[in-house]
Amino acid sequence: MHYHAESYGNYNASTVRQNAAVDPLERVVRLASGSAVVIFSLSTCCMCHAVKRLFCGMGVNPTVYELDLDPRGKELERALMRLLGDGSAMPVVFIGGKLVGAMDRVMASHINGTLVPLLKEAGALWL
Amino acid sequence: MFPPSPMKFHHNPRESLKSGEDSAGSESALISLASIGDNSTATGHRLQPPLPPEIQPQMEMASSSDKPATGVTQFQLDAKLAPPKRKGAGSTSDKVLDAKTVRRLAQNREAAKKSRLRKKAYVQQLESSRIRLAQLEQDLQRARSQGFIIGGGAAGGNISSGAALFDMEYARWLDDEHRHMSELRTALQAHLSDGDLRVIADKYIAHYDELFCLKEVAVVSDVIHLYTGMWTTPAERCFLWMGGFRPSDLIKQAEEALSQGLEQLQQSLISTIANGSVNDSMNQMAVALGKLTSLEGFVRQADNLRQQTLHQLRRILTVRQTARCFLVISEYYGRLRALSSLWASRPRENFIAGDNSCQTSTDLQMVLSSRNQFSNF
Repeated sequence: MHYHAESYGNYNASTVRQNAAVDPLERVVRLASGSAVVIFSLSTCCMCHAVKRLFCGMGVNPTVYELDLDPRGKELERALMRLLGDGSAMPVVFIGGKLVGAMDRVMASHINGTLVPLLKEAGALWL
Repeated sequence: MFPPSPMKFHHNPRESLKSGEDSAGSESALISLASIGDNSTATGHRLQPPLPPEIQPQMEMASSSDKPATGVTQFQLDAKLAPPKRKGAGSTSDKVLDAKTVRRLAQNREAAKKSRLRKKAYVQQLESSRIRLAQLEQDLQRARSQGFIIGGGAAGGNISSGAALFDMEYARWLDDEHRHMSELRTALQAHLSDGDLRVIADKYIAHYDELFCLKEVAVVSDVIHLYTGMWTTPAERCFLWMGGFRPSDLIKQAEEALSQGLEQLQQSLISTIANGSVNDSMNQMAVALGKLTSLEGFVRQADNLRQQTLHQLRRILTVRQTARCFLVISEYYGRLRALSSLWASRPRENFIAGDNSCQTSTDLQMVLSSRNQFSNF
Protein backbone atom coordinates (compact mmCIF):
# COMPACT_ATOMS: atom_id res chain seq x y z
CA MET A 1 0.00 0.00 0.00
CA HIS A 2 1.52 3.31 -0.90
CA TYR A 3 0.28 6.62 0.31
CA HIS A 4 0.20 9.70 -1.84
CA ALA A 5 -0.02 13.26 -0.77
CA GLU A 6 -0.13 14.66 -4.22
CA SER A 7 0.30 18.29 -3.47
CA TYR A 8 3.53 17.76 -1.57
CA GLY A 9 6.74 17.15 -3.42
CA ASN A 10 6.94 17.44 -7.20
CA TYR A 11 6.79 21.14 -6.66
CA ASN A 12 7.53 22.60 -10.02
CA ALA A 13 5.82 25.32 -11.95
CA SER A 14 4.12 23.10 -14.46
CA THR A 15 2.62 20.88 -11.77
CA VAL A 16 1.30 23.91 -9.94
CA ARG A 17 -0.26 25.29 -13.08
CA GLN A 18 -1.72 21.90 -13.86
CA ASN A 19 -3.16 21.50 -10.37
CA ALA A 20 -4.51 25.01 -10.21
CA ALA A 21 -6.31 24.69 -13.52
CA VAL A 22 -7.94 21.35 -12.85
CA ASP A 23 -11.31 21.25 -11.10
CA PRO A 24 -11.75 18.80 -8.20
CA LEU A 25 -13.73 16.18 -10.07
CA GLU A 26 -11.23 16.08 -12.88
CA ARG A 27 -8.49 15.70 -10.30
CA VAL A 28 -10.34 12.81 -8.75
CA VAL A 29 -10.66 11.11 -12.12
CA ARG A 30 -7.03 11.72 -12.93
CA LEU A 31 -5.85 10.32 -9.61
CA ALA A 32 -8.22 7.38 -9.93
CA SER A 33 -6.83 6.42 -13.32
CA GLY A 34 -3.27 6.58 -12.04
CA SER A 35 -3.25 3.14 -10.39
CA ALA A 36 -5.01 -0.20 -10.60
CA VAL A 37 -6.69 0.21 -7.21
CA VAL A 38 -7.24 3.67 -5.71
CA ILE A 39 -8.76 4.36 -2.33
CA PHE A 40 -9.80 7.84 -1.24
CA SER A 41 -9.68 7.78 2.52
CA LEU A 42 -9.50 9.77 5.72
CA SER A 43 -6.69 8.92 8.11
CA THR A 44 -9.02 9.04 11.13
CA CYS A 45 -11.83 6.99 9.62
CA CYS A 46 -12.07 3.43 10.87
CA MET A 47 -14.21 2.23 7.99
CA CYS A 48 -11.42 3.37 5.68
CA HIS A 49 -9.08 1.26 7.77
CA ALA A 50 -11.40 -1.70 7.24
CA VAL A 51 -11.42 -1.31 3.46
CA LYS A 52 -7.63 -1.04 3.37
CA ARG A 53 -7.42 -4.25 5.43
CA LEU A 54 -9.77 -5.95 3.01
CA PHE A 55 -7.64 -5.23 -0.01
CA CYS A 56 -4.39 -6.00 1.74
CA GLY A 57 -5.90 -9.25 2.95
CA MET A 58 -6.62 -10.18 -0.63
CA GLY A 59 -3.06 -9.47 -1.64
CA VAL A 60 -3.82 -6.24 -3.45
CA ASN A 61 -1.58 -3.20 -3.20
CA PRO A 62 -3.89 -0.19 -3.32
CA THR A 63 -2.87 3.46 -3.73
CA VAL A 64 -4.31 5.45 -0.86
CA TYR A 65 -5.02 9.18 -0.80
CA GLU A 66 -5.65 10.49 2.71
CA LEU A 67 -7.81 13.49 1.92
CA ASP A 68 -7.61 14.95 5.42
CA LEU A 69 -3.86 15.22 5.04
CA ASP A 70 -4.08 16.93 1.68
CA PRO A 71 -4.43 20.73 1.70
CA ARG A 72 -6.97 20.54 -1.10
CA GLY A 73 -8.53 17.36 0.19
CA LYS A 74 -11.73 19.04 1.24
CA GLU A 75 -12.75 19.86 -2.30
CA LEU A 76 -11.87 16.38 -3.47
CA GLU A 77 -14.03 15.02 -0.68
CA ARG A 78 -16.91 17.19 -1.75
CA ALA A 79 -16.52 16.19 -5.38
CA LEU A 80 -16.60 12.53 -4.35
CA MET A 81 -19.71 13.04 -2.26
CA ARG A 82 -21.42 14.62 -5.22
CA LEU A 83 -20.27 11.77 -7.41
CA LEU A 84 -21.75 9.18 -5.09
CA GLY A 85 -24.86 11.24 -4.48
CA ASP A 86 -24.52 10.41 -0.82
CA GLY A 87 -23.36 12.40 2.16
CA SER A 88 -21.50 9.62 3.89
CA ALA A 89 -18.85 9.06 1.23
CA MET A 90 -15.54 7.84 2.69
CA PRO A 91 -13.94 5.51 1.76
CA VAL A 92 -14.33 5.59 -2.03
CA VAL A 93 -12.78 2.88 -4.16
CA PHE A 94 -11.81 2.99 -7.83
CA ILE A 95 -10.59 -0.11 -9.66
CA GLY A 96 -9.00 0.15 -13.08
CA GLY A 97 -10.00 3.81 -13.14
CA LYS A 98 -13.68 2.94 -12.73
CA LEU A 99 -15.75 3.90 -9.72
CA VAL A 100 -16.76 0.96 -7.53
CA GLY A 101 -18.23 3.03 -4.73
CA ALA A 102 -18.31 3.21 -0.94
CA MET A 103 -17.90 0.35 1.52
CA ASP A 104 -21.29 -1.24 0.97
CA ARG A 105 -20.76 -1.52 -2.77
CA VAL A 106 -17.31 -2.98 -2.23
CA MET A 107 -18.73 -5.56 0.18
CA ALA A 108 -21.60 -6.42 -2.12
CA SER A 109 -19.32 -6.92 -5.10
CA HIS A 110 -16.96 -9.02 -2.99
CA ILE A 111 -19.81 -11.30 -1.96
CA ASN A 112 -21.42 -11.61 -5.35
CA GLY A 113 -18.08 -12.51 -6.85
CA THR A 114 -17.56 -9.51 -9.11
CA LEU A 115 -14.71 -7.93 -7.15
CA VAL A 116 -12.00 -10.48 -7.84
CA PRO A 117 -12.50 -10.55 -11.64
CA LEU A 118 -12.48 -6.76 -11.61
CA LEU A 119 -9.18 -6.76 -9.74
CA LYS A 120 -7.68 -9.29 -12.09
CA GLU A 121 -8.78 -7.27 -15.10
CA ALA A 122 -7.15 -4.17 -13.67
CA GLY A 123 -3.98 -6.09 -13.07
CA ALA A 124 -4.11 -5.81 -9.30
CA LEU A 125 -4.38 -9.56 -8.73
CA TRP A 126 -2.66 -12.35 -10.52
CA LEU A 127 -3.90 -15.57 -9.08
CA MET B 1 -83.01 26.69 22.23
CA PHE B 2 -84.01 23.12 22.41
CA PRO B 3 -87.08 22.63 20.29
CA PRO B 4 -84.95 22.07 17.22
CA SER B 5 -82.75 19.85 19.33
CA PRO B 6 -85.28 17.09 19.70
CA MET B 7 -84.56 16.48 16.04
CA LYS B 8 -80.93 16.08 16.89
CA PHE B 9 -81.76 13.79 19.74
CA HIS B 10 -83.76 11.76 17.33
CA HIS B 11 -80.84 11.54 14.98
CA ASN B 12 -78.14 10.69 17.42
CA PRO B 13 -79.33 7.60 19.16
CA ARG B 14 -81.18 6.26 16.17
CA GLU B 15 -78.15 6.73 14.01
CA SER B 16 -76.08 4.88 16.52
CA LEU B 17 -78.71 2.24 17.02
CA LYS B 18 -78.84 1.68 13.31
CA SER B 19 -75.15 1.05 13.27
CA GLY B 20 -75.79 -1.81 15.58
CA GLU B 21 -73.93 -0.65 18.62
CA ASP B 22 -75.54 -1.30 21.94
CA SER B 23 -74.37 0.71 24.84
CA ALA B 24 -72.11 2.58 22.51
CA GLY B 25 -75.18 3.97 20.83
CA SER B 26 -76.62 5.50 23.89
CA GLU B 27 -73.19 6.51 25.03
CA SER B 28 -72.57 8.34 21.83
CA ALA B 29 -75.90 10.05 22.19
CA LEU B 30 -74.83 11.29 25.58
CA ILE B 31 -71.42 12.36 24.41
CA SER B 32 -72.74 13.98 21.25
CA LEU B 33 -75.06 15.97 23.39
CA ALA B 34 -72.22 16.89 25.62
CA SER B 35 -70.19 18.01 22.66
CA ILE B 36 -73.06 20.00 21.31
CA GLY B 37 -73.41 21.56 24.68
CA ASP B 38 -69.70 22.18 24.91
CA ASN B 39 -68.97 25.63 23.64
CA SER B 40 -65.41 24.85 22.87
CA THR B 41 -65.68 22.57 19.87
CA ALA B 42 -63.26 22.91 17.02
CA THR B 43 -65.88 24.42 14.77
CA GLY B 44 -65.48 27.58 16.72
CA HIS B 45 -69.13 28.39 16.73
CA ARG B 46 -70.78 29.64 19.78
CA LEU B 47 -72.97 26.68 20.30
CA GLN B 48 -75.92 26.35 22.47
CA PRO B 49 -75.16 26.54 26.15
CA PRO B 50 -74.68 23.38 28.23
CA LEU B 51 -77.63 21.25 29.09
CA PRO B 52 -79.66 22.46 32.02
CA PRO B 53 -78.83 20.33 35.01
CA GLU B 54 -82.23 18.69 35.25
CA ILE B 55 -81.78 17.17 31.85
CA GLN B 56 -78.35 15.64 32.25
CA PRO B 57 -79.17 13.01 34.87
CA GLN B 58 -82.12 11.94 32.78
CA MET B 59 -79.87 11.48 29.79
CA GLU B 60 -77.49 9.42 31.86
CA MET B 61 -80.30 7.14 32.87
CA ALA B 62 -81.25 6.76 29.30
CA SER B 63 -77.77 5.78 28.25
CA SER B 64 -77.40 3.09 30.85
CA SER B 65 -80.60 1.36 29.83
CA ASP B 66 -80.84 -1.42 27.27
CA LYS B 67 -81.31 -0.87 23.61
CA PRO B 68 -85.05 -1.48 23.37
CA ALA B 69 -85.73 0.72 26.33
CA THR B 70 -83.68 3.55 24.92
CA GLY B 71 -86.10 4.14 22.14
CA VAL B 72 -88.91 4.47 24.60
CA THR B 73 -86.94 6.69 26.89
CA GLN B 74 -85.99 8.95 24.02
CA PHE B 75 -89.60 9.92 23.47
CA GLN B 76 -89.94 10.68 27.12
CA LEU B 77 -86.82 12.78 26.93
CA ASP B 78 -88.00 14.62 23.88
CA ALA B 79 -91.16 15.48 25.69
CA LYS B 80 -89.21 16.65 28.71
CA LEU B 81 -86.80 18.65 26.65
CA ALA B 82 -89.36 20.47 24.59
CA PRO B 83 -90.62 22.72 27.36
CA PRO B 84 -87.45 24.22 28.92
CA LYS B 85 -86.39 27.41 27.32
CA ARG B 86 -83.23 29.16 28.03
CA LYS B 87 -83.80 32.72 28.99
CA GLY B 88 -82.36 35.36 26.76
CA ALA B 89 -81.46 33.13 23.87
CA GLY B 90 -84.17 34.54 21.71
CA SER B 91 -87.54 33.01 21.24
CA THR B 92 -86.55 30.05 19.19
CA SER B 93 -89.69 28.26 20.22
CA ASP B 94 -91.57 30.39 17.68
CA LYS B 95 -92.77 28.55 14.63
CA VAL B 96 -91.43 31.23 12.34
CA LEU B 97 -87.67 31.39 12.60
CA ASP B 98 -85.69 34.28 11.29
CA ALA B 99 -82.89 33.77 8.80
CA LYS B 100 -80.14 34.35 11.30
CA THR B 101 -81.51 31.70 13.59
CA VAL B 102 -82.00 29.30 10.78
CA ARG B 103 -78.42 29.76 9.73
CA ARG B 104 -77.23 29.37 13.27
CA LEU B 105 -79.19 26.21 13.73
CA ALA B 106 -77.90 24.84 10.46
CA GLN B 107 -74.36 25.58 11.55
CA ASN B 108 -75.02 23.87 14.82
CA ARG B 109 -76.29 20.84 13.03
CA GLU B 110 -73.19 20.77 10.91
CA ALA B 111 -70.99 21.14 13.92
CA ALA B 112 -72.83 18.38 15.68
CA LYS B 113 -72.50 16.13 12.67
CA LYS B 114 -68.77 16.80 12.47
CA SER B 115 -68.49 16.09 16.14
CA ARG B 116 -70.18 12.77 15.69
CA LEU B 117 -67.93 11.84 12.80
CA ARG B 118 -64.85 12.83 14.71
CA LYS B 119 -65.95 10.84 17.63
CA LYS B 120 -66.61 7.83 15.47
CA ALA B 121 -63.17 8.09 13.94
CA TYR B 122 -61.62 8.46 17.38
CA VAL B 123 -63.43 5.43 18.69
CA GLN B 124 -62.33 3.39 15.70
CA GLN B 125 -58.76 4.48 16.27
CA LEU B 126 -59.05 3.50 19.91
CA GLU B 127 -60.40 0.11 18.95
CA SER B 128 -57.56 -0.64 16.57
CA SER B 129 -55.05 0.65 19.08
CA ARG B 130 -56.53 -1.65 21.65
CA ILE B 131 -56.11 -4.61 19.34
CA ARG B 132 -52.58 -3.59 18.56
CA LEU B 133 -51.81 -3.20 22.23
CA ALA B 134 -53.14 -6.66 22.96
CA GLN B 135 -50.96 -8.04 20.19
CA LEU B 136 -47.90 -6.22 21.45
CA GLU B 137 -48.51 -7.52 24.94
CA GLN B 138 -48.76 -11.00 23.55
CA ASP B 139 -45.48 -10.54 21.69
CA LEU B 140 -43.86 -9.21 24.83
CA GLN B 141 -45.10 -12.19 26.79
CA ARG B 142 -43.72 -14.56 24.23
CA ALA B 143 -40.44 -12.71 24.02
CA ARG B 144 -40.05 -12.83 27.80
CA SER B 145 -40.72 -16.51 27.85
CA GLN B 146 -38.07 -17.07 25.22
CA GLY B 147 -35.47 -15.63 27.49
CA PHE B 148 -35.09 -12.14 26.10
CA ILE B 149 -34.20 -9.47 28.57
CA ILE B 150 -36.69 -6.73 28.00
CA GLY B 151 -37.83 -3.70 29.91
CA GLY B 152 -35.00 -3.36 32.34
CA GLY B 153 -31.81 -5.25 32.14
CA ALA B 154 -29.48 -6.07 34.97
CA ALA B 155 -28.19 -2.56 35.44
CA GLY B 156 -31.72 -1.35 35.97
CA GLY B 157 -31.34 1.11 33.16
CA ASN B 158 -34.32 2.06 31.09
CA ILE B 159 -34.62 0.49 27.70
CA SER B 160 -34.75 3.11 25.00
CA SER B 161 -37.90 3.46 22.96
CA GLY B 162 -36.03 2.61 19.76
CA ALA B 163 -34.76 -0.56 21.35
CA ALA B 164 -38.17 -1.50 22.72
CA LEU B 165 -39.76 -0.93 19.36
CA PHE B 166 -37.17 -3.07 17.61
CA ASP B 167 -37.59 -5.85 20.17
CA MET B 168 -41.32 -5.93 19.58
CA GLU B 169 -40.96 -6.03 15.84
CA TYR B 170 -38.22 -8.63 16.04
CA ALA B 171 -40.46 -10.86 18.17
CA ARG B 172 -43.12 -10.67 15.49
CA TRP B 173 -40.50 -11.33 12.81
CA LEU B 174 -39.42 -14.43 14.69
CA ASP B 175 -42.95 -15.77 14.62
CA ASP B 176 -43.07 -15.30 10.89
CA GLU B 177 -39.66 -16.92 10.65
CA HIS B 178 -40.98 -20.07 12.31
CA ARG B 179 -43.82 -20.06 9.85
CA HIS B 180 -41.43 -19.74 6.91
CA MET B 181 -39.31 -22.51 8.30
CA SER B 182 -42.22 -24.93 8.54
CA GLU B 183 -43.24 -23.96 5.04
CA LEU B 184 -39.77 -24.81 3.81
CA ARG B 185 -39.78 -28.08 5.64
CA THR B 186 -43.14 -29.23 4.38
CA ALA B 187 -42.31 -28.07 0.87
CA LEU B 188 -39.12 -30.10 0.83
CA GLN B 189 -40.79 -33.14 2.31
CA ALA B 190 -43.61 -32.89 -0.15
CA HIS B 191 -41.12 -32.81 -3.00
CA LEU B 192 -42.67 -29.80 -4.63
CA SER B 193 -41.53 -28.64 -8.04
CA ASP B 194 -38.59 -26.33 -8.41
CA GLY B 195 -40.88 -23.47 -9.36
CA ASP B 196 -42.88 -23.80 -6.16
CA LEU B 197 -39.74 -24.18 -4.09
CA ARG B 198 -38.30 -21.07 -5.66
CA VAL B 199 -41.36 -19.10 -4.62
CA ILE B 200 -40.97 -20.24 -1.05
CA ALA B 201 -37.23 -19.59 -1.03
CA ASP B 202 -37.83 -16.12 -2.42
CA LYS B 203 -40.36 -15.43 0.30
CA TYR B 204 -37.80 -16.52 2.86
CA ILE B 205 -35.22 -14.12 1.48
CA ALA B 206 -37.77 -11.32 1.28
CA HIS B 207 -38.56 -11.96 4.90
CA TYR B 208 -34.91 -11.58 5.81
CA ASP B 209 -34.80 -8.40 3.78
CA GLU B 210 -37.60 -7.14 6.02
CA LEU B 211 -35.44 -7.87 9.04
CA PHE B 212 -32.58 -5.90 7.56
CA CYS B 213 -34.90 -2.97 7.04
CA LEU B 214 -35.95 -3.16 10.69
CA LYS B 215 -32.32 -3.33 11.72
CA GLU B 216 -31.49 -0.35 9.57
CA VAL B 217 -33.96 1.72 11.58
CA ALA B 218 -32.65 0.31 14.83
CA VAL B 219 -29.04 1.06 13.91
CA VAL B 220 -29.87 4.72 13.90
CA SER B 221 -32.15 4.72 16.93
CA ASP B 222 -30.09 2.51 19.25
CA VAL B 223 -26.97 0.96 17.82
CA ILE B 224 -25.61 -0.15 21.19
CA HIS B 225 -28.72 -2.22 21.73
CA LEU B 226 -28.23 -3.90 18.35
CA TYR B 227 -24.54 -4.32 18.76
CA THR B 228 -24.67 -5.85 22.23
CA GLY B 229 -27.35 -8.21 21.03
CA MET B 230 -29.77 -7.49 23.84
CA TRP B 231 -32.54 -8.39 21.44
CA THR B 232 -31.23 -11.92 20.93
CA THR B 233 -31.32 -14.90 23.23
CA PRO B 234 -28.34 -15.35 25.56
CA ALA B 235 -26.93 -18.31 23.65
CA GLU B 236 -27.13 -16.44 20.35
CA ARG B 237 -25.39 -13.58 22.04
CA CYS B 238 -22.36 -15.78 22.71
CA PHE B 239 -21.79 -16.12 19.00
CA LEU B 240 -22.87 -12.67 18.02
CA TRP B 241 -20.81 -10.85 15.46
CA MET B 242 -21.33 -7.12 15.04
CA GLY B 243 -24.97 -7.09 15.92
CA GLY B 244 -26.10 -10.29 14.20
CA PHE B 245 -25.14 -13.65 12.79
CA ARG B 246 -21.69 -14.27 11.37
CA PRO B 247 -21.72 -14.96 7.67
CA SER B 248 -20.06 -18.14 6.56
CA ASP B 249 -16.37 -18.89 6.36
CA LEU B 250 -16.44 -18.30 2.65
CA ILE B 251 -16.29 -14.62 3.27
CA LYS B 252 -13.88 -14.63 6.18
CA GLN B 253 -11.92 -11.91 4.45
CA ALA B 254 -14.74 -9.41 4.46
CA GLU B 255 -15.56 -10.23 8.06
CA GLU B 256 -11.93 -9.90 9.02
CA ALA B 257 -11.65 -6.49 7.40
CA LEU B 258 -14.72 -5.20 9.21
CA SER B 259 -13.52 -6.69 12.48
CA GLN B 260 -10.19 -4.98 12.17
CA GLY B 261 -11.82 -1.70 11.35
CA LEU B 262 -13.99 -2.05 14.42
CA GLU B 263 -10.99 -2.90 16.54
CA GLN B 264 -9.33 0.28 15.42
CA LEU B 265 -12.47 2.18 16.35
CA GLN B 266 -12.44 0.66 19.81
CA GLN B 267 -8.76 1.47 20.29
CA SER B 268 -9.30 4.99 19.16
CA LEU B 269 -12.30 5.43 21.44
CA ILE B 270 -10.41 4.04 24.42
CA SER B 271 -7.46 6.31 23.87
CA THR B 272 -9.76 9.31 23.50
CA ILE B 273 -11.40 8.60 26.82
CA ALA B 274 -8.22 7.56 28.62
CA ASN B 275 -6.05 10.46 27.53
CA GLY B 276 -6.63 14.15 27.56
CA SER B 277 -6.49 16.57 30.41
CA VAL B 278 -9.22 17.18 32.93
CA ASN B 279 -9.69 20.68 31.54
CA ASP B 280 -10.43 19.38 28.12
CA SER B 281 -13.01 16.80 29.13
CA MET B 282 -15.94 18.33 27.26
CA ASN B 283 -13.97 18.31 24.08
CA GLN B 284 -12.85 14.76 24.69
CA MET B 285 -16.43 13.70 25.15
CA ALA B 286 -17.46 15.39 21.93
CA VAL B 287 -14.71 13.58 20.06
CA ALA B 288 -15.63 10.30 21.72
CA LEU B 289 -19.28 10.79 20.78
CA GLY B 290 -18.30 11.30 17.20
CA LYS B 291 -16.31 8.10 17.22
CA LEU B 292 -19.13 6.13 18.77
CA THR B 293 -21.32 7.22 15.90
CA SER B 294 -19.00 5.28 13.61
CA LEU B 295 -20.30 2.16 15.30
CA GLU B 296 -23.49 2.66 13.32
CA GLY B 297 -21.52 2.38 10.10
CA PHE B 298 -19.99 -0.90 11.18
CA VAL B 299 -23.20 -2.54 12.21
CA ARG B 300 -24.73 -1.33 8.99
CA GLN B 301 -21.90 -2.80 6.91
CA ALA B 302 -22.11 -6.04 8.82
CA ASP B 303 -25.84 -6.25 8.11
CA ASN B 304 -25.09 -5.50 4.50
CA LEU B 305 -22.64 -8.39 4.49
CA ARG B 306 -25.23 -10.73 5.98
CA GLN B 307 -27.85 -9.68 3.51
CA GLN B 308 -25.51 -10.01 0.54
CA THR B 309 -24.51 -13.46 1.72
CA LEU B 310 -28.08 -14.68 1.83
CA HIS B 311 -28.80 -13.29 -1.61
CA GLN B 312 -25.63 -14.78 -3.02
CA LEU B 313 -26.49 -18.18 -1.60
CA ARG B 314 -29.75 -18.05 -3.45
CA ARG B 315 -27.95 -17.15 -6.66
CA ILE B 316 -25.31 -19.83 -6.65
CA LEU B 317 -27.31 -22.76 -5.33
CA THR B 318 -30.05 -24.63 -7.11
CA VAL B 319 -33.53 -23.98 -5.86
CA ARG B 320 -33.66 -27.20 -3.92
CA GLN B 321 -30.26 -26.58 -2.41
CA THR B 322 -31.31 -23.06 -1.52
CA ALA B 323 -34.44 -24.29 0.22
CA ARG B 324 -32.47 -26.87 2.15
CA CYS B 325 -29.82 -24.34 3.03
CA PHE B 326 -32.35 -21.88 4.38
CA LEU B 327 -34.03 -24.63 6.35
CA VAL B 328 -30.71 -25.60 7.88
CA ILE B 329 -30.02 -22.00 8.81
CA SER B 330 -33.45 -21.64 10.39
CA GLU B 331 -33.15 -24.84 12.31
CA TYR B 332 -29.69 -23.98 13.53
CA TYR B 333 -30.88 -20.73 15.01
CA GLY B 334 -34.04 -22.35 16.28
CA ARG B 335 -31.97 -24.84 18.20
CA LEU B 336 -29.65 -22.14 19.45
CA ARG B 337 -32.65 -20.30 20.79
CA ALA B 338 -34.03 -23.45 22.35
CA LEU B 339 -30.65 -24.01 23.94
CA SER B 340 -30.93 -20.56 25.38
CA SER B 341 -34.27 -21.29 27.02
CA LEU B 342 -32.98 -24.57 28.34
CA TRP B 343 -30.03 -22.82 29.81
CA ALA B 344 -32.18 -20.17 31.40
CA SER B 345 -34.48 -22.74 32.93
CA ARG B 346 -31.90 -25.31 33.94
CA PRO B 347 -32.46 -26.77 37.42
CA ARG B 348 -30.45 -25.11 40.09
CA GLU B 349 -29.78 -26.27 43.65
CA ASN B 350 -32.10 -23.84 45.39
CA PHE B 351 -35.06 -24.59 43.21
CA ILE B 352 -37.61 -27.29 43.81
CA ALA B 353 -36.65 -29.94 41.30
CA GLY B 354 -40.21 -30.66 40.24
CA ASP B 355 -41.08 -27.24 38.84
CA ASN B 356 -38.05 -26.82 36.66
CA SER B 357 -37.90 -30.33 35.36
CA CYS B 358 -41.31 -30.01 33.75
CA GLN B 359 -40.27 -27.04 31.73
CA THR B 360 -36.90 -28.53 30.97
CA SER B 361 -38.46 -31.69 29.66
CA THR B 362 -40.78 -29.86 27.24
CA ASP B 363 -37.92 -27.73 25.99
CA LEU B 364 -35.80 -30.83 25.63
CA GLN B 365 -38.54 -32.48 23.62
CA MET B 366 -38.63 -29.49 21.37
CA VAL B 367 -34.90 -29.63 20.76
CA LEU B 368 -34.97 -33.38 20.16
CA SER B 369 -37.87 -33.22 17.78
CA SER B 370 -36.26 -30.54 15.67
CA ARG B 371 -33.07 -32.55 15.60
CA ASN B 372 -34.98 -35.51 14.17
CA GLN B 373 -36.30 -33.29 11.42
CA PHE B 374 -32.83 -32.01 10.77
CA SER B 375 -31.45 -35.50 10.31
CA ASN B 376 -33.51 -35.90 7.12
CA PHE B 377 -31.19 -33.56 5.34
